[in-house]
Amino acid sequence: MKIKCGIEIHQQLLTHKLFCPCSSGMHEKPQLEIVRRLRPVPGELGDVDVAAQYEFLRNRVFAYKHYPNESCLVELDEEPPHQLNPEALETAVMIALMLNCDIPDEIHIMRKIVIDGSDTTGFQRTALIGMNGWIKTSFGKVGIKSVCLEEESAQILGRKAGKPELVTYGLNRFGIPLVEIGTQPDITNFEEARETAEKLGMILRSTQRVKTGLGTIRQDLNISIPGGVRVEIKGVQSLSLIPKVLEFEAKRQESLLKAGEKPRPEVRKANPDGTTEFLRPLPGAARLYPETDCPPVRIDRSWLDALKLKLPELLDEKIKRWVEGYKLSWELASQLARSDKAGLFEYLIQWADPKLVANVLVNVLKGLKREGVGIEKLEARHFRFVFEALREERIAKEGIPELLKKFAENPQARIEELVSETLGPEEVKRLVKKILKEKPELRELRNPFQAYMGLVMKQVRGRAPGSLIAKILKEELSE
Amino acid sequence: MYSQAIRKFLERVGVKAGDRVEIEKKGKIYQGILMPRPETGDPNCLVLKLPSGYNLGIAFEKGIKIRKLKAPTEKARKPKPPKFRKDLPGVTLFAVGGTIGSRVDYRTGGVYALMEPEEFLFNLPELSEIARLESIQRPFTKMSEDMDPKDWQVLAKEVAKKLNREADGVVIAHGTDTMHFTSAALSFMLRNLSKPVVLTGSQRSSDRPSSDAGMNLICSCWVARSDIAEVGICMHATSSDDYCHFLPGTKARKLHSTRRDAFRPINSKPIARVWPDGRLETLTAYRKRSDSQVEADVKFEERVALIKAYPGSDPALLEFLASKGYRGIVIEGTGLGHVPTQARKSWIPAIKKLVKDGIPVVITTQTLYGRVNPWVYTNLRILFSTGAISGEDMLPETAYVKLGWVLGHTQDPEEVRKLMLQNLAGEIKERSLPDTFLI
Repeated sequence: MKIKCGIEIHQQLLTHKLFCPCSSGMHEKPQLEIVRRLRPVPGELGDVDVAAQYEFLRNRVFAYKHYPNESCLVELDEEPPHQLNPEALETAVMIALMLNCDIPDEIHIMRKIVIDGSDTTGFQRTALIGMNGWIKTSFGKVGIKSVCLEEESAQILGRKAGKPELVTYGLNRFGIPLVEIGTQPDITNFEEARETAEKLGMILRSTQRVKTGLGTIRQDLNISIPGGVRVEIKGVQSLSLIPKVLEFEAKRQESLLKAGEKPRPEVRKANPDGTTEFLRPLPGAARLYPETDCPPVRIDRSWLDALKLKLPELLDEKIKRWVEGYKLSWELASQLARSDKAGLFEYLIQWADPKLVANVLVNVLKGLKREGVGIEKLEARHFRFVFEALREERIAKEGIPELLKKFAENPQARIEELVSETLGPEEVKRLVKKILKEKPELRELRNPFQAYMGLVMKQVRGRAPGSLIAKILKEELSE
Repeated sequence: MYSQAIRKFLERVGVKAGDRVEIEKKGKIYQGILMPRPETGDPNCLVLKLPSGYNLGIAFEKGIKIRKLKAPTEKARKPKPPKFRKDLPGVTLFAVGGTIGSRVDYRTGGVYALMEPEEFLFNLPELSEIARLESIQRPFTKMSEDMDPKDWQVLAKEVAKKLNREADGVVIAHGTDTMHFTSAALSFMLRNLSKPVVLTGSQRSSDRPSSDAGMNLICSCWVARSDIAEVGICMHATSSDDYCHFLPGTKARKLHSTRRDAFRPINSKPIARVWPDGRLETLTAYRKRSDSQVEADVKFEERVALIKAYPGSDPALLEFLASKGYRGIVIEGTGLGHVPTQARKSWIPAIKKLVKDGIPVVITTQTLYGRVNPWVYTNLRILFSTGAISGEDMLPETAYVKLGWVLGHTQDPEEVRKLMLQNLAGEIKERSLPDTFLI
């Protein structure tokens, strides 16, 4: 079926809030609550829309929950915004460059009027970071209309019917930096839409500066069929769902047209099964006006050129490089590249075989997590200690999970303390054999046992009882 | 404003802010509306509003081309303003500052003043059910940090005039920073006050949906039509949009730079709590509305200073003020009213000299809350033995305004002392009550 489709992706960035230093962790419990109302603001085209806004707002009261470290007076709309988060700006520009966009010479922060209460201010702060870009899919080029950096809205926590209706929001999500990517309506089939969304997602994750996990990326679709109208579908949860959602929507519009009805321009919500339901009529053009509390940001060309040189490697390219260069399986490479351990992998391969490192970082960690081990406590140095110990043959390959587990339980421990506990008869035997092989000349001495015992004890460094070492050494010498 | 280079260029090509234009730079073409340059940012960047509504800056460089496009014919819609009800109490709105009486042009970002009472009804339709806005008076408009005693005098006279004619009450939209100075000044200047005079403002500008201006103005109008014949400040009582406090004009202070509930009563309770739906609960005794004529007694001595004592502060400041012809000084002392006394740079000799020369010195406290005391410590006894006047539980700002007003009437030291110690407009309370702290 012939369709015309554009995709809009909203991606949270992995940094603190956009206009204050609050954490965007979303881990806390709310502390206190305030209650607000919003008032209509006059529009550009006379005051007709004010009456409608007034009616809407008259019947609504908004409660906002504050979180100790995840919101402050800025989110409460009790303090002007602080300076734009420079890290978020850099990431947004980086993404725009990866999407081949033009970057304006000066970025202007705007206020976009939003009166559903999801912004305490009554507007969302947003800035155009890039325009006129493109990406390639197997179907051809898809134009990138715009890349914007904006504030995430507050999360709705509940509604209480009544007059007025009480809508409760959490301020922990409000103000998290969000990159919004909008494509041109260049997409003409369902699969192309899926591929485009997937590619955009891959590019975003390649930066390693975006949040991952539930609710951190949202996909909206715009679709029309010949003779139909533009319908916006909000909140498509997964990539695999995209073709299905589009197909259902195209069919819905088609059947309406067949029945002689004209589809209405509207916003619909995507359900997990791919169907959609009516949300609201399509709003008119967004009303934007300058955020006078934030000065425009001049983009320095030399800064931009420097940024162009340090654009991250695309995940797809990285996977290909690992598969070809280190002989990782495609599956393992892709899991590793998408995880937060990609950088660690490239660091650790100076101590061990890349295949082993990849396996430890993906599968061993997965296993430990399943056992309930707190793997998030493991730092780069812990992995380094482990692979160093392996290279020095102080531990065997099989000892890796156990050692990582011990580090997770006791992150401050020194490797000597942990490895010493792990020397069993097998390891002692291995060590004894190694020394016997290395120093065959000592067998010629009057008391070879004493000479070898001294050497072995020196290497064991108290990690096994002397009696055990003596027993094994005697056995080995008598062979 | 744009850089001179841009201004010259625009003039030459005949393009001005607000025009629909096409800009060509390095082979790239941008279309949109040319915006005026904001005060911030790079004045050498052209600001273009794209059809999407976003603004962006285009650096002005050699070779840039700009062409005026035909503007789409905009339907000029002048909506019919709603009307006020004739049977409601008449309130006169003085708009002397702040953003309440202004409106943003969302196309250009410019701000312009509302001149007609009816224009308020677009944003605040509720007003039509509360009061009949008689007129909007703009004797002057300025940022509150730029106000000076001359402005208080003009305002007091104009307010009295309106109160003695058609107004049942007056609401004054004012910038917030020095609103408590103006409210104190009007409290002393408006004698025989018989109707409400309500100062209000906004901590979030009125061009945003979350502005506190609307509710503050609505609550102020409820107070203006009430029977509370006092000068006071009516602003948000909490961070929520639930109710406002009407604070006594001489006992209010801005205690936060940005919060909605920045204004608080000091050493007093609010006069009343007011809800936007018109409920009004009085919390203290107050002067009742009457028919008496209001007198604007605006004589004011401007050569009065308000200075702060702090560790290391130099008494030469006092000598300097005296040399410049200052007629009175209010000192914000520490704690109970202390100034450096046995310190390396003691203030005592300088204060002694001022008093001897007939320049009254009033001692207040920078703690704001509480009362100064001349007896508790030796250093206080030394200070007050100089002849300095105790400011009692007066706010330093109120004491400053009061001293200027008193000195406008008499320069006789004994008379000044008597008046400064006497409660004239609710500024001194004899009893300190436990439920007046941090509210």
